[in-house]
Amino acid sequence: MESTRYVVIFILILTGAVAVGLTGMREATKSQAALNEDIFNKRAILTAVEDYLPDGQKVSQLTDDQIVEIFSGMEQPVVNMQGEILDGVQAEDIDMAKERKKAEEDRRLPVYVYETGGQKFYILSVRGNGLWDEIWGSVALKSDLSTVAGATFDHKGETPGLGAEIKDNPSFAEQFQGKEIYDDGEYVSIKVRKGGAKDPNHEVDGISGATVTADGVSEMLYRGLKYYEPYLEKIKQQSLLLNQ
Amino acid sequence: MAETAVKEKESVFQFGNKERKLLSDPLNDNNPITVQVLGICSALAVTSLVYPSLVMAIAVIFVTAFSSLFTSLLRNYIPKQVRMIVQLVIIATLVTVVELALKYLNYPVYKQLSVYIGLIITNCIVMGRLEAFSMANTPWRSFLDGVGNGLGYGIILVMVGVVREIFGKGSLFAGSPIELKIIGPNADYLINTVDSAMFAWYANNNLMVLPASAMFIIGIMIWIQRSYNTKLVDVS
Amino acid sequence: MEFLNTFIKAAFVENLVLAYFLGMCSYLAVSKSVSTAFGLGLAVIFVLGITMPINWLINEYLLSESGLLGMDLTFLRFILFIAVIASMVQLVEMVVEKYSPSLYSALGIFLPLITVNCAILGGSLFMVSREYNFSNALAFGLGGGFGWFLAIIAIAAIREKIRYSNVPPALRGLGMAFILTGLMGIAFMSLMGIDPAALTAGK
Repeated sequence: MESTRYVVIFILILTGAVAVGLTGMREATKSQAALNEDIFNKRAILTAVEDYLPDGQKVSQLTDDQIVEIFSGMEQPVVNMQGEILDGVQAEDIDMAKERKKAEEDRRLPVYVYETGGQKFYILSVRGNGLWDEIWGSVALKSDLSTVAGATFDHKGETPGLGAEIKDNPSFAEQFQGKEIYDDGEYVSIKVRKGGAKDPNHEVDGISGATVTADGVSEMLYRGLKYYEPYLEKIKQQSLLLNQ
Repeated sequence: MAETAVKEKESVFQFGNKERKLLSDPLNDNNPITVQVLGICSALAVTSLVYPSLVMAIAVIFVTAFSSLFTSLLRNYIPKQVRMIVQLVIIATLVTVVELALKYLNYPVYKQLSVYIGLIITNCIVMGRLEAFSMANTPWRSFLDGVGNGLGYGIILVMVGVVREIFGKGSLFAGSPIELKIIGPNADYLINTVDSAMFAWYANNNLMVLPASAMFIIGIMIWIQRSYNTKLVDVS
Repeated sequence: MEFLNTFIKAAFVENLVLAYFLGMCSYLAVSKSVSTAFGLGLAVIFVLGITMPINWLINEYLLSESGLLGMDLTFLRFILFIAVIASMVQLVEMVVEKYSPSLYSALGIFLPLITVNCAILGGSLFMVSREYNFSNALAFGLGGGFGWFLAIIAIAAIREKIRYSNVPPALRGLGMAFILTGLMGIAFMSLMGIDPAALTAGK
């Protein structure tokens, strides 16, 4: 048995060396790691408009630089719950997880306006609860502000093979293309229906064995897209004025 | 201590039969998962796809090899009272290195492995080998032992991953640059179940995607291994 | 009420062994008889219940950016968590040895095993990723420990019985334990989606 003094000195030297080494390594990798995370999130958002990317490319074929370029060229308004555009803040600065913890009326909503070949897409972000933990997604609306151009979902800890299929099975998100969130001007959102979609315009098929997650997606879309309603109304009025 | 130091010098970087055995033994006769029953947790959660399994395997090989090396280098200086804590600090440091490196090199895989990277720390293979081998052997041999055990673990991990991904998803290496789509319901796959008359009945087996299926696959692997390798059979 | 919900959820719905397959090493190694399984199970409840709140405090007040040091030190999380767990296990061992020799002789040999039980560290890491508050962390620790205890008792009982069955020799023991755990895991999936909060709210 060694003396207590030896033990203490040994531990101090060891922890000191470890702390210095790891801090150094973290400092060296920090900026690249933050950039990687940023690009990971941006790729996820862009997946909502995957069918409309330049030259028919897929998101996975784009390089990191191209992703950054696309996003820096995008209009990125942030709106409040009254649909007013907030100054001095960009959509990519918004952390949806943090916004969700705020009181409903204080939340800020990010909008990514993606333009290609004369078409405008509004990519909206939604967040809600699945079975185990949070789920979230992006929905791209065409310029009529009702038809869905594409959607993408992700989750923190849904069951693999069941709830996790909202992300892992691309055909789930593909179903949303062409659906409409308004029915004759009335907000209805899009519903995930167990046992198969009945309404071809506003419903998609559920995932067998994952009812709770599917209901979570329906609820998230209904509530999350409704938040954007005041903003969508304003754009509609603006375009009406322009047309007159 | 003086004696061991002399012995150490003689055997540094030797690679004879004994050393070869250190590498090959854990692959079959003394496999960490199927024989020593160590480190099962991470084997289950990350193996639904081959690519994360492969990354996990490499991470574990790295951690077992280098923690064995460092522990062995320090073995004569580590105070006996705090032995476990010192070993854990070494392991935890290496795991943090792996985490930082993954964040830097491959963020999507880091996301996929999430808490299971941290659980390499409590992967009993690492700790078990440090206690059983590195504390009493030279650095070079400990390093080989670490690599061998990491490999034995990694092979099982990748094998389970291959079975689960082929039958559960119809693909191989999904998420990596060399993704292979084997069987599925559209033209992207090698065998298109929609067009093909022979495979129209085929559907992915969703059981394989559930973590529980890894238990069945490992159980069956143990069955097969012990059928050939009868000296491992549990007599109790 | 929230405390009870988290407890029930952690013990049954999100059972660490049967839903997440954590802590498998000692679960498989020490489940040959019910009596030893009982001792290990108790020790796990004990250690999880102590380490989760401590790790919560460390994460909140030492490592996070809003903590006492004002720096983001979360990358040191693994090291600090495991150090806390290892030292708590040793502390518990010493205290138990001094004040309750009978409990010590029952738990003693299992305590060192617990340091490397993934369920303990896994619990702390889940706590961070799910952003629990203090009382939830405590409930998750106790509930998770209780769930682990139940699972190991269950498998030990099954393994005691299955010794009298005609299992192929190569599958005997370990192989069968794996397959059994897989089946139990699938059985436990039927508890998935139960939300104690909704039950108590009378929905």
